[in-house]
Amino acid sequence: MISQTLGNCGERSGEGEYLTLAFSPLSAPLRSRWRNNGLSADFLGDYVITFLPTEGSVAAAGSRQNEIRHAVTYIANELLENAMKFHERNFDIPIGIHLELTSDHITVSASNGIAVVQAERYKEFAEHLLEGDAGDLLMRQQEANAKCDGPGASGVGLLTMISDYGAQLGWRFDVHPAQSEIMTVTTSAVLPLESVPGASA
Amino acid sequence: MKHINGESFDIRLEEDNSTVCFKGALRLSGMEDYAPILDLLKETLIHPDASIVLDLRELDFLNSSGITMFSRFVIEARDRAGIDLRFLASEAVPWHARSLKNLQRLMPSLSICLT
Repeated sequence: MISQTLGNCGERSGEGEYLTLAFSPLSAPLRSRWRNNGLSADFLGDYVITFLPTEGSVAAAGSRQNEIRHAVTYIANELLENAMKFHERNFDIPIGIHLELTSDHITVSASNGIAVVQAERYKEFAEHLLEGDAGDLLMRQQEANAKCDGPGASGVGLLTMISDYGAQLGWRFDVHPAQSEIMTVTTSAVLPLESVPGASA
Repeated sequence: MKHINGESFDIRLEEDNSTVCFKGALRLSGMEDYAPILDLLKETLIHPDASIVLDLRELDFLNSSGITMFSRFVIEARDRAGIDLRFLASEAVPWHARSLKNLQRLMPSLSICLT
């Protein structure tokens, strides 16, 4: 399989604690399954804190867990929303979300099917995000969104992961082994635990 | 009192038309779904005799489309002269300290009270 990566996709060693969920994208319309993004994201946030070492006072540990739970939930929710929105529905590729915890970081990745033409546009967008200052790009995007009545919000979720949560983003594009016009794109957010207030694993 | 609610959230515009209280988790799927809430927020800008207060202390979760909705509102408030806009936020809700500062960057006179 031909692959291309951009940015930091995190390790997928399988040696740390991990969890993978996969969704059949063809079984229900987007709107009716939207609430499940929130349920899945909440689940990942709650799940991961079980494996974090507890240290310091009960109050400090509780605050740190709250920060990490929220960061994972926010990132997982945004990645799942994007995967559900941009998944190419003509392809029978499952949408997946993967969580992995190591001693110093948490990686959340979401994957979906995408046509090769769309993948090229997404690569350009990813390179644009990696080259710029996320905080400045976010301000410019919000000013642009305010001037148009369209759907807007393009990239705001990814930009906030970098600027507000200290995440490093990465993308992996895999060509389908049997159908050259299809790719699977995996978008990863690597969250260093030291970037979470009060958190050091 | 105007009121919008959903499975996971509750939003109220108080009688004085200058205070909006948010509760719960907002994860709507895009700007089209957020339009009624943005319209409700804009009602506070019609006759801003007093400070406009957005009470987010019990808004536990907001997705990026919701962040964009608040950004649109803040930019609209900024572009009208003399609007006094205040956000009430909570230290116990992690996204408040992380993301509300971006709204202040869009509107430097915006006041955020984090308690």
